[in-house]
Amino acid sequence: MIYLDHGATSFPKPPAVAQAVARAMALCANPGRGGHAAAQEAAKTVFSCRELAADLFDCGTEQVVFTQNCTHGLNIAINTLVRPGARVVISGFEHNAVTRPLHLRKARITVAGRRLFDWDDTLRQFKKALDRGVEAAVFTHVSNVFGYELPVEEMARLCRARRIPFIIDCAQSAGTHSLSLRKLGADFIAMPGHKGLLGPMGTGLLLCARLPKPLLCGGTGSDSVSQSMPRYLPDRLEAGTVNVPGIAGLAAGLEMVRALGPEEIGKKERELAREAARMLREEGMEVFAGAHQAGTVSFRPGTDCEEGAQALARQDIAVRAGLHCAPVAHESALTLDTGTIRLSFGYDSDKTQLIRLRQAVHTSFSLGNP
Amino acid sequence: MKKYLITFRSITLAQRAERALLAQGVRCHIRRTPRWMEKKGCGYAVEASMADVEYGLALLREQGIVYRNSYRLSQDGTPEELGL
Repeated sequence: MIYLDHGATSFPKPPAVAQAVARAMALCANPGRGGHAAAQEAAKTVFSCRELAADLFDCGTEQVVFTQNCTHGLNIAINTLVRPGARVVISGFEHNAVTRPLHLRKARITVAGRRLFDWDDTLRQFKKALDRGVEAAVFTHVSNVFGYELPVEEMARLCRARRIPFIIDCAQSAGTHSLSLRKLGADFIAMPGHKGLLGPMGTGLLLCARLPKPLLCGGTGSDSVSQSMPRYLPDRLEAGTVNVPGIAGLAAGLEMVRALGPEEIGKKERELAREAARMLREEGMEVFAGAHQAGTVSFRPGTDCEEGAQALARQDIAVRAGLHCAPVAHESALTLDTGTIRLSFGYDSDKTQLIRLRQAVHTSFSLGNP
Repeated sequence: MKKYLITFRSITLAQRAERALLAQGVRCHIRRTPRWMEKKGCGYAVEASMADVEYGLALLREQGIVYRNSYRLSQDGTPEELGL
């Protein structure tokens, strides 16, 4: 199989990740509860992962909170920063993980910047929205549908200059871009553990620059007498038992990303996406590609995208079609009615896969199929 | 060299403290805080053998590692609060 759905999850995981998970299953009990050897082993495993993440993302160890996934982290962050009915600005390429929690809170949303791959437009519209007055900003770093890399450093600077709190969704950029909580000055940065960070599904990280409101209350193994959640991190957000085997696997993934270098991984994925875009155009596909594009490219084959993805799957090419849980992004790109087929490259993708991809696209679409 | 117990509000802080002290060559390990010491319920402590506890505690403070309390442990393990 040629797997080009790394935007959904990285697959297969590096062997070291599976080994770390198995090791944790064998040796780790519940961390932060007992004082015995197996509990200590679990605690060390969790702490190691936290330290690795703190190092990679330039923040304090306690600012790293383990979540179930990026969506979980975004819900915590939005619940903290956005009061019901608040005015919020988002980009034109957000995922439902951002828009649905905002909708639930009846936020008054301004969508700023709907032109793909156009930094000038994104920044102009974003600045206009900030200047009209908003209470918070939430924006993605990289569009999960189109791979558009937004100018987050400048967007962050605009927010900081106006003292507008902001959240960055790094679902598609963690592990492939250099990210610093400190330099960006974000209030929260959410990311999954299982995409670019190569960890198991069921893991995520929320980097916290301010004290968040907990979504979940319960035992933390600390300050147990108090009936309020601790007012310090990470305990405030880690009620209940954390996913120790998942975190062990995530630590192995983080080590690998650190060794390879996120920017190196990102550069390779970007080049593959560019090459794929060129090839798809030559095959007569409608391709969404441009400057500021990460390792993801969407296209329309001129036939139903889901049937198109099925045709590719029959040829052992794994992609994702449809709306990608991002109707806002599709609205912006005028692809809401049809959806797109998305290719998303990963750390172990390479150019040899493009040869078979081309053959499959040609067979599936250029010969009048499906 | 005397033995000390330094208590923390969370295991993460205890782990940071252990790491910081180990980096200075201090022999130490994490353990649960004795129940009677931890009025707030549950906690973790670092038991350390140190020549100069004031230096050790100052190091923790410098690194932003907040501790709750510190105790000297006598030979039979009886703790004496240091109030440092």
